[in-house]
Amino acid sequence: MKYLLSSLGWLWLASAPLVAAESADDEVAMRSDVLGLAGAFQNDGFKIRDGVWYAKTSKDHPATVEVNLYSGNAYWFSAAGSKSATGLKITIYDNAGHPVSSEPYGSENKAASGFSPDASGLYYVRVSSADSQPTSFCLIYSYK
Amino acid sequence: MRNLRKWLTLSAIALFPIASGWAEQDTGKNPPTVQPLSSEEMKQAVTIDAITVPTPGEFFKAIDKGGKPNWASQFRPPTQIDGTSRAQMALNLGTLIADGYIAVEAQDGQQVKNIGRDVLTLAKKLSVSDSVIARGKSISQFAESGAWDQLNEELEATQNEVKKALEENRDTDLITLVSIGGWIRGTQVVTGLLVQTYSPEVAKLLRQPDLVGYLRAKLDQLPQRIRQDKLVVRVNGELQTMAKLVSFSPDHVPTAEEVKTLNQTAATLTKEISIGK
Repeated sequence: MKYLLSSLGWLWLASAPLVAAESADDEVAMRSDVLGLAGAFQNDGFKIRDGVWYAKTSKDHPATVEVNLYSGNAYWFSAAGSKSATGLKITIYDNAGHPVSSEPYGSENKAASGFSPDASGLYYVRVSSADSQPTSFCLIYSYK
Repeated sequence: MRNLRKWLTLSAIALFPIASGWAEQDTGKNPPTVQPLSSEEMKQAVTIDAITVPTPGEFFKAIDKGGKPNWASQFRPPTQIDGTSRAQMALNLGTLIADGYIAVEAQDGQQVKNIGRDVLTLAKKLSVSDSVIARGKSISQFAESGAWDQLNEELEATQNEVKKALEENRDTDLITLVSIGGWIRGTQVVTGLLVQTYSPEVAKLLRQPDLVGYLRAKLDQLPQRIRQDKLVVRVNGELQTMAKLVSFSPDHVPTAEEVKTLNQTAATLTKEISIGK
Protein backbone atom coordinates (compact mmCIF):
# COMPACT_ATOMS: atom_id res chain seq x y z
CA MET A 1 0.00 0.00 0.00
CA LYS A 2 2.80 2.32 1.00
CA TYR A 3 4.58 1.47 -2.25
CA LEU A 4 1.41 2.14 -4.27
CA LEU A 5 0.90 5.55 -2.61
CA SER A 6 4.52 6.45 -3.13
CA SER A 7 4.30 5.41 -6.82
CA LEU A 8 1.14 7.46 -7.28
CA GLY A 9 2.85 10.41 -5.63
CA TRP A 10 5.82 10.18 -8.01
CA LEU A 11 3.45 9.75 -10.96
CA TRP A 12 1.58 12.90 -9.91
CA LEU A 13 4.82 14.84 -9.50
CA ALA A 14 6.05 13.66 -12.89
CA SER A 15 2.82 14.56 -14.65
CA ALA A 16 2.46 18.01 -13.03
CA PRO A 17 4.84 19.82 -15.42
CA LEU A 18 3.10 18.15 -18.38
CA VAL A 19 -0.29 19.41 -17.22
CA ALA A 20 1.13 22.90 -16.67
CA ALA A 21 2.80 22.85 -20.09
CA GLU A 22 -0.44 21.78 -21.76
CA SER A 23 -2.28 24.58 -20.03
CA ALA A 24 0.30 27.13 -21.21
CA ASP A 25 0.02 25.71 -24.74
CA ASP A 26 -3.75 26.05 -24.52
CA GLU A 27 -3.40 29.70 -23.56
CA VAL A 28 -1.06 30.35 -26.47
CA ALA A 29 -3.45 28.60 -28.89
CA MET A 30 -6.48 30.50 -27.58
CA ARG A 31 -4.61 33.80 -27.77
CA SER A 32 -3.53 33.03 -31.31
CA ASP A 33 -7.11 32.10 -32.29
CA VAL A 34 -8.60 35.21 -30.74
CA LEU A 35 -6.01 37.47 -32.39
CA GLY A 36 -6.84 35.81 -35.71
CA LEU A 37 -10.51 36.57 -35.17
CA ALA A 38 -9.92 40.18 -34.08
CA GLY A 39 -7.54 40.64 -37.01
CA ALA A 40 -10.56 40.75 -39.31
CA PHE A 41 -11.82 43.82 -37.45
CA GLN A 42 -8.35 45.33 -37.47
CA ASN A 43 -8.59 45.43 -41.27
CA ASP A 44 -11.63 47.61 -40.73
CA GLY A 45 -9.68 50.13 -38.67
CA PHE A 46 -10.22 48.64 -35.21
CA LYS A 47 -7.29 48.78 -32.79
CA ILE A 48 -6.71 45.72 -30.65
CA ARG A 49 -6.09 46.40 -26.96
CA ASP A 50 -3.06 44.69 -25.48
CA GLY A 51 -4.94 43.40 -22.41
CA VAL A 52 -6.34 39.86 -22.29
CA TRP A 53 -8.70 38.03 -19.98
CA TYR A 54 -8.31 34.29 -19.46
CA ALA A 55 -11.15 32.59 -17.57
CA LYS A 56 -13.42 29.56 -17.58
CA THR A 57 -17.05 29.41 -18.58
CA SER A 58 -19.77 26.77 -18.74
CA LYS A 59 -23.46 26.56 -19.54
CA ASP A 60 -24.48 27.19 -15.94
CA HIS A 61 -21.58 29.40 -14.92
CA PRO A 62 -20.95 32.06 -17.55
CA ALA A 63 -18.06 34.46 -16.91
CA THR A 64 -18.62 38.23 -16.76
CA VAL A 65 -16.16 41.13 -16.81
CA GLU A 66 -16.70 44.87 -16.29
CA VAL A 67 -15.63 47.27 -19.04
CA ASN A 68 -15.78 51.06 -19.32
CA LEU A 69 -16.70 52.22 -22.80
CA TYR A 70 -16.99 55.59 -24.54
CA SER A 71 -19.92 56.70 -26.64
CA GLY A 72 -18.75 57.57 -30.14
CA ASN A 73 -16.35 54.61 -30.22
CA ALA A 74 -17.26 51.28 -31.80
CA TYR A 75 -16.14 48.07 -30.09
CA TRP A 76 -15.68 44.40 -30.95
CA PHE A 77 -15.27 41.89 -28.12
CA SER A 78 -13.70 38.65 -29.32
CA ALA A 79 -13.22 35.35 -27.49
CA ALA A 80 -11.64 32.03 -28.41
CA GLY A 81 -12.10 28.91 -26.33
CA SER A 82 -10.10 25.72 -26.11
CA LYS A 83 -10.34 23.50 -29.22
CA SER A 84 -13.11 21.38 -27.64
CA ALA A 85 -15.29 24.38 -26.68
CA THR A 86 -18.67 24.67 -28.38
CA GLY A 87 -21.37 27.31 -28.54
CA LEU A 88 -19.23 30.14 -27.23
CA LYS A 89 -21.26 33.35 -27.07
CA ILE A 90 -20.64 36.95 -26.01
CA THR A 91 -23.46 39.10 -24.63
CA ILE A 92 -23.13 42.75 -23.61
CA TYR A 93 -25.19 44.39 -20.84
CA ASP A 94 -25.53 48.02 -19.76
CA ASN A 95 -24.74 49.25 -16.24
CA ALA A 96 -28.22 48.26 -15.05
CA GLY A 97 -27.70 44.71 -16.31
CA HIS A 98 -30.00 44.97 -19.33
CA PRO A 99 -28.79 43.28 -22.52
CA VAL A 100 -27.89 45.76 -25.25
CA SER A 101 -28.34 45.28 -28.95
CA SER A 102 -25.08 44.03 -30.43
CA GLU A 103 -23.79 42.39 -33.58
CA PRO A 104 -23.02 38.76 -32.72
CA TYR A 105 -20.67 36.37 -34.45
CA GLY A 106 -20.18 32.76 -33.46
CA SER A 107 -18.32 29.85 -34.98
CA GLU A 108 -17.50 26.68 -33.00
CA ASN A 109 -14.98 27.72 -30.35
CA LYS A 110 -14.90 31.40 -31.30
CA ALA A 111 -17.31 34.27 -30.67
CA ALA A 112 -17.41 38.02 -31.14
CA SER A 113 -19.85 40.81 -30.45
CA GLY A 114 -19.83 44.29 -31.97
CA PHE A 115 -21.28 47.25 -30.11
CA SER A 116 -21.42 51.05 -30.33
CA PRO A 117 -22.55 52.54 -27.00
CA ASP A 118 -24.89 55.53 -26.95
CA ALA A 119 -23.73 56.50 -23.48
CA SER A 120 -20.25 56.37 -21.94
CA GLY A 121 -19.88 54.32 -18.80
CA LEU A 122 -19.89 50.84 -17.34
CA TYR A 123 -20.95 47.77 -19.32
CA TYR A 124 -20.77 44.04 -18.60
CA VAL A 125 -19.39 41.54 -21.10
CA ARG A 126 -20.48 37.97 -20.54
CA VAL A 127 -18.94 34.89 -22.16
CA SER A 128 -21.14 31.81 -22.07
CA SER A 129 -20.77 28.35 -23.50
CA ALA A 130 -23.06 25.50 -24.52
CA ASP A 131 -20.82 23.03 -22.64
CA SER A 132 -21.88 21.86 -19.21
CA GLN A 133 -18.20 21.25 -18.35
CA PRO A 134 -16.10 24.37 -17.66
CA THR A 135 -14.09 25.41 -20.69
CA SER A 136 -11.25 27.94 -20.85
CA PHE A 137 -11.34 30.99 -23.09
CA CYS A 138 -9.35 34.12 -23.87
CA LEU A 139 -11.08 37.47 -24.44
CA ILE A 140 -9.71 40.64 -26.00
CA TYR A 141 -11.35 43.73 -27.38
CA SER A 142 -10.76 46.21 -30.13
CA TYR A 143 -12.08 49.72 -30.71
CA LYS A 144 -12.21 52.48 -33.27
CA MET B 1 -17.28 51.88 -71.48
CA ARG B 2 -17.09 48.18 -72.40
CA ASN B 3 -13.97 47.84 -70.27
CA LEU B 4 -15.67 49.55 -67.37
CA ARG B 5 -18.70 47.19 -67.59
CA LYS B 6 -16.35 44.19 -67.76
CA TRP B 7 -14.42 45.44 -64.70
CA LEU B 8 -17.62 46.02 -62.72
CA THR B 9 -18.86 42.49 -63.56
CA LEU B 10 -15.56 40.95 -62.47
CA SER B 11 -15.56 43.02 -59.27
CA ALA B 12 -19.08 41.86 -58.45
CA ILE B 13 -18.07 38.20 -58.98
CA ALA B 14 -14.96 38.68 -56.84
CA LEU B 15 -16.91 40.33 -54.03
CA PHE B 16 -19.74 37.77 -53.96
CA PRO B 17 -18.00 35.09 -51.85
CA ILE B 18 -16.85 37.72 -49.32
CA ALA B 19 -20.36 39.14 -48.97
CA SER B 20 -21.97 35.72 -48.71
CA GLY B 21 -19.34 34.64 -46.18
CA TRP B 22 -20.22 37.57 -43.95
CA ALA B 23 -23.92 36.85 -44.38
CA GLU B 24 -23.36 33.33 -43.06
CA GLN B 25 -21.45 34.60 -40.07
CA ASP B 26 -23.74 37.48 -39.24
CA THR B 27 -26.65 36.05 -37.33
CA GLY B 28 -28.35 39.40 -36.76
CA LYS B 29 -28.65 41.46 -33.61
CA ASN B 30 -28.82 39.78 -30.22
CA PRO B 31 -32.42 38.75 -29.56
CA PRO B 32 -34.17 40.76 -26.86
CA THR B 33 -35.05 37.46 -25.14
CA VAL B 34 -31.70 37.48 -23.28
CA GLN B 35 -32.37 37.71 -19.55
CA PRO B 36 -31.00 40.75 -17.69
CA LEU B 37 -28.20 40.22 -15.20
CA SER B 38 -29.29 39.89 -11.58
CA SER B 39 -27.74 42.21 -9.01
CA GLU B 40 -25.85 39.18 -7.68
CA GLU B 41 -24.43 38.45 -11.15
CA MET B 42 -23.37 42.08 -11.53
CA LYS B 43 -21.66 41.95 -8.13
CA GLN B 44 -19.80 38.79 -9.15
CA ALA B 45 -18.49 40.31 -12.40
CA VAL B 46 -14.70 40.41 -12.38
CA THR B 47 -12.52 43.46 -12.95
CA ILE B 48 -9.23 43.12 -14.79
CA ASP B 49 -7.07 46.23 -14.97
CA ALA B 50 -6.03 45.57 -18.59
CA ILE B 51 -9.68 45.17 -19.70
CA THR B 52 -11.76 47.21 -17.22
CA VAL B 53 -9.66 50.39 -17.32
CA PRO B 54 -9.66 52.03 -20.77
CA THR B 55 -6.38 53.41 -22.07
CA PRO B 56 -5.99 57.16 -22.50
CA GLY B 57 -5.71 56.36 -26.25
CA GLU B 58 -9.21 54.91 -26.21
CA PHE B 59 -10.54 58.03 -24.49
CA PHE B 60 -8.73 60.25 -27.00
CA LYS B 61 -10.07 58.23 -29.95
CA ALA B 62 -13.62 59.07 -28.83
CA ILE B 63 -12.65 62.76 -28.64
CA ASP B 64 -11.27 62.64 -32.19
CA LYS B 65 -14.79 61.94 -33.46
CA GLY B 66 -15.88 65.41 -32.37
CA GLY B 67 -13.58 67.18 -34.85
CA LYS B 68 -9.87 67.83 -35.09
CA PRO B 69 -8.69 68.76 -31.58
CA ASN B 70 -5.48 70.73 -31.15
CA TRP B 71 -3.62 67.97 -29.32
CA ALA B 72 -0.31 69.84 -29.40
CA SER B 73 -1.88 72.56 -27.24
CA GLN B 74 -2.03 69.99 -24.43
CA PHE B 75 1.71 69.27 -24.34
CA ARG B 76 3.34 70.24 -21.06
CA PRO B 77 6.93 71.26 -20.33
CA PRO B 78 9.28 68.33 -19.59
CA THR B 79 8.23 66.87 -16.28
CA GLN B 80 10.52 66.26 -13.32
CA ILE B 81 11.60 62.65 -13.10
CA ASP B 82 13.44 62.79 -9.79
CA GLY B 83 11.07 60.85 -7.60
CA THR B 84 10.32 61.75 -4.01
CA SER B 85 8.80 58.33 -3.27
CA ARG B 86 7.98 55.14 -5.18
CA ALA B 87 4.29 56.03 -5.00
CA GLN B 88 4.98 59.41 -6.57
CA MET B 89 7.11 57.82 -9.30
CA ALA B 90 4.34 55.33 -10.15
CA LEU B 91 1.74 58.10 -10.39
CA ASN B 92 4.13 60.19 -12.49
CA LEU B 93 4.82 57.23 -14.79
CA GLY B 94 1.07 56.99 -15.45
CA THR B 95 0.89 60.67 -16.40
CA LEU B 96 3.93 60.30 -18.68
CA ILE B 97 2.40 57.34 -20.52
CA ALA B 98 -0.73 59.47 -21.07
CA ASP B 99 1.60 62.18 -22.46
CA GLY B 100 2.82 59.59 -24.95
CA TYR B 101 -0.73 59.08 -26.26
CA ILE B 102 -1.16 62.87 -26.60
CA ALA B 103 2.04 63.09 -28.66
CA VAL B 104 0.79 60.24 -30.86
CA GLU B 105 -2.55 62.01 -31.39
CA ALA B 106 -0.63 65.18 -32.26
CA GLN B 107 1.57 63.05 -34.57
CA ASP B 108 4.71 64.63 -33.13
CA GLY B 109 7.53 62.11 -33.49
CA GLN B 110 10.12 64.11 -31.52
CA GLN B 111 7.72 64.57 -28.61
CA VAL B 112 6.97 60.82 -28.62
CA LYS B 113 10.70 60.05 -28.47
CA ASN B 114 11.29 62.55 -25.64
CA ILE B 115 8.45 61.07 -23.61
CA GLY B 116 9.62 57.53 -24.36
CA ARG B 117 13.03 58.46 -22.94
CA ASP B 118 11.45 59.90 -19.77
CA VAL B 119 9.29 56.78 -19.35
CA LEU B 120 12.41 54.66 -19.57
CA THR B 121 14.30 56.79 -17.02
CA LEU B 122 11.43 56.61 -14.58
CA ALA B 123 10.99 52.88 -15.18
CA LYS B 124 14.69 52.42 -14.30
CA LYS B 125 14.12 54.22 -11.00
CA LEU B 126 11.29 51.78 -10.29
CA SER B 127 13.60 48.86 -11.24
CA VAL B 128 11.42 47.74 -14.14
CA SER B 129 13.64 48.96 -16.96
CA ASP B 130 14.77 45.62 -18.46
CA SER B 131 11.36 44.75 -19.80
CA VAL B 132 10.62 48.22 -21.15
CA ILE B 133 13.98 48.89 -22.83
CA ALA B 134 12.92 46.89 -25.89
CA ARG B 135 9.60 48.73 -25.98
CA GLY B 136 11.44 52.06 -25.72
CA LYS B 137 13.47 51.18 -28.82
CA SER B 138 10.31 50.22 -30.76
CA ILE B 139 8.61 53.46 -29.72
CA SER B 140 11.58 55.40 -31.05
CA GLN B 141 11.59 53.50 -34.36
CA PHE B 142 7.83 53.85 -34.85
CA ALA B 143 8.04 57.57 -34.01
CA GLU B 144 10.75 58.05 -36.64
CA SER B 145 8.69 56.30 -39.30
CA GLY B 146 5.42 57.98 -38.26
CA ALA B 147 3.68 54.66 -37.57
CA TRP B 148 1.01 56.24 -35.34
CA ASP B 149 -1.33 53.22 -35.08
CA GLN B 150 1.53 50.94 -34.03
CA LEU B 151 2.66 53.59 -31.53
CA ASN B 152 -0.75 53.50 -29.86
CA GLU B 153 -0.44 49.75 -29.45
CA GLU B 154 3.18 49.99 -28.34
CA LEU B 155 2.30 52.52 -25.64
CA GLU B 156 -0.35 50.25 -24.20
CA ALA B 157 2.02 47.29 -24.40
CA THR B 158 4.65 49.39 -22.56
CA GLN B 159 2.17 50.23 -19.83
CA ASN B 160 1.24 46.55 -19.47
CA GLU B 161 4.92 45.59 -19.48
CA VAL B 162 5.60 48.06 -16.65
CA LYS B 163 2.64 46.68 -14.67
CA LYS B 164 3.79 43.10 -15.27
CA ALA B 165 7.31 43.96 -14.12
CA LEU B 166 5.95 45.67 -11.00
CA GLU B 167 3.97 42.52 -10.30
CA GLU B 168 7.08 40.36 -10.73
CA ASN B 169 9.00 42.69 -8.39
CA ARG B 170 6.17 42.29 -5.86
CA ASP B 171 5.29 45.94 -6.30
CA THR B 172 1.67 45.20 -7.25
CA ASP B 173 0.46 48.09 -5.10
CA LEU B 174 2.09 50.56 -7.46
CA ILE B 175 0.12 49.23 -10.48
CA THR B 176 -3.04 51.00 -9.30
CA LEU B 177 -1.10 54.26 -9.02
CA VAL B 178 0.14 54.01 -12.64
CA SER B 179 -3.49 53.65 -13.81
CA ILE B 180 -4.65 56.54 -11.62
CA GLY B 181 -1.86 58.83 -12.88
CA GLY B 182 -2.86 58.05 -16.47
CA TRP B 183 -6.53 58.73 -15.82
CA ILE B 184 -5.87 62.08 -14.09
CA ARG B 185 -3.62 63.33 -16.90
CA GLY B 186 -6.05 62.02 -19.56
CA THR B 187 -8.92 63.87 -17.88
CA GLN B 188 -6.84 67.05 -17.69
CA VAL B 189 -6.13 66.88 -21.43
CA VAL B 190 -9.72 66.18 -22.51
CA THR B 191 -11.13 68.92 -20.28
CA GLY B 192 -8.33 71.22 -21.47
CA LEU B 193 -9.46 70.74 -25.06
CA LEU B 194 -13.05 71.37 -23.96
CA VAL B 195 -12.10 74.58 -22.17
CA GLN B 196 -10.57 75.75 -25.48
CA THR B 197 -13.52 74.70 -27.62
CA TYR B 198 -16.63 73.57 -25.75
CA SER B 199 -18.68 70.81 -27.35
CA PRO B 200 -21.67 69.19 -25.60
CA GLU B 201 -21.00 65.90 -27.42
CA VAL B 202 -17.43 65.70 -26.13
CA ALA B 203 -18.46 66.92 -22.66
CA LYS B 204 -20.79 63.92 -22.37
CA LEU B 205 -17.76 61.62 -22.69
CA LEU B 206 -16.58 62.78 -19.27
CA ARG B 207 -19.24 60.63 -17.62
CA GLN B 208 -17.24 57.83 -15.92
CA PRO B 209 -18.70 57.24 -12.46
CA ASP B 210 -17.87 53.55 -12.25
CA LEU B 211 -14.34 53.91 -13.53
CA VAL B 212 -13.44 56.47 -10.85
CA GLY B 213 -15.25 54.33 -8.28
CA TYR B 214 -13.15 51.34 -9.38
CA LEU B 215 -9.88 53.31 -9.14
CA ARG B 216 -10.80 54.71 -5.72
CA ALA B 217 -11.74 51.26 -4.43
CA LYS B 218 -8.32 49.97 -5.59
CA LEU B 219 -6.68 52.89 -3.83
CA ASP B 220 -8.48 52.03 -0.61
CA GLN B 221 -7.13 48.47 -0.83
CA LEU B 222 -3.50 49.65 -0.86
CA PRO B 223 -1.33 48.94 2.20
CA GLN B 224 -1.46 51.62 4.85
CA ARG B 225 2.14 52.73 4.27
CA ILE B 226 1.23 53.72 0.69
CA ARG B 227 -2.17 55.14 1.59
CA GLN B 228 -0.42 57.36 4.13
CA ASP B 229 2.02 58.76 1.56
CA LYS B 230 1.37 62.52 1.55
CA LEU B 231 0.79 62.65 -2.21
CA VAL B 232 -1.45 59.55 -2.22
CA VAL B 233 -3.58 61.11 0.54
CA ARG B 234 -3.91 64.23 -1.59
CA VAL B 235 -4.73 62.22 -4.76
CA ASN B 236 -7.34 60.19 -2.89
CA GLY B 237 -9.02 63.35 -1.62
CA GLU B 238 -9.06 65.04 -5.01
CA LEU B 239 -10.26 61.87 -6.74
CA GLN B 240 -13.34 62.18 -4.54
CA THR B 241 -13.91 65.70 -5.91
CA MET B 242 -13.32 64.50 -9.48
CA ALA B 243 -15.62 61.51 -8.94
CA LYS B 244 -18.49 63.89 -8.14
CA LEU B 245 -17.82 65.88 -11.30
CA VAL B 246 -17.83 62.83 -13.61
CA SER B 247 -20.76 61.09 -11.89
CA PHE B 248 -23.69 62.69 -13.66
CA SER B 249 -26.80 61.07 -15.11
CA PRO B 250 -26.65 59.88 -18.75
CA ASP B 251 -28.97 62.69 -19.89
CA HIS B 252 -26.95 65.48 -18.25
CA VAL B 253 -24.44 67.44 -20.31
CA PRO B 254 -21.67 69.03 -18.20
CA THR B 255 -21.64 72.81 -18.57
CA ALA B 256 -18.55 74.74 -19.64
CA GLU B 257 -18.19 75.87 -16.01
CA GLU B 258 -18.30 72.29 -14.71
CA VAL B 259 -15.70 71.26 -17.29
CA LYS B 260 -13.47 74.13 -16.18
CA THR B 261 -13.68 73.06 -12.54
CA LEU B 262 -12.76 69.48 -13.47
CA ASN B 263 -9.87 70.74 -15.60
CA GLN B 264 -8.49 72.87 -12.78
CA THR B 265 -8.66 69.98 -10.31
CA ALA B 266 -6.96 67.58 -12.74
CA ALA B 267 -4.31 70.15 -13.73
CA THR B 268 -3.42 70.93 -10.10
CA LEU B 269 -3.18 67.25 -9.30
CA THR B 270 -1.02 66.48 -12.36
CA LYS B 271 1.36 69.27 -11.34
CA GLU B 272 1.56 68.00 -7.76
CA ILE B 273 2.23 64.47 -9.02
CA SER B 274 5.01 65.81 -11.22
CA ILE B 275 6.80 67.75 -8.49
CA GLY B 276 5.92 65.25 -5.76
CA LYS B 277 4.35 67.79 -3.45
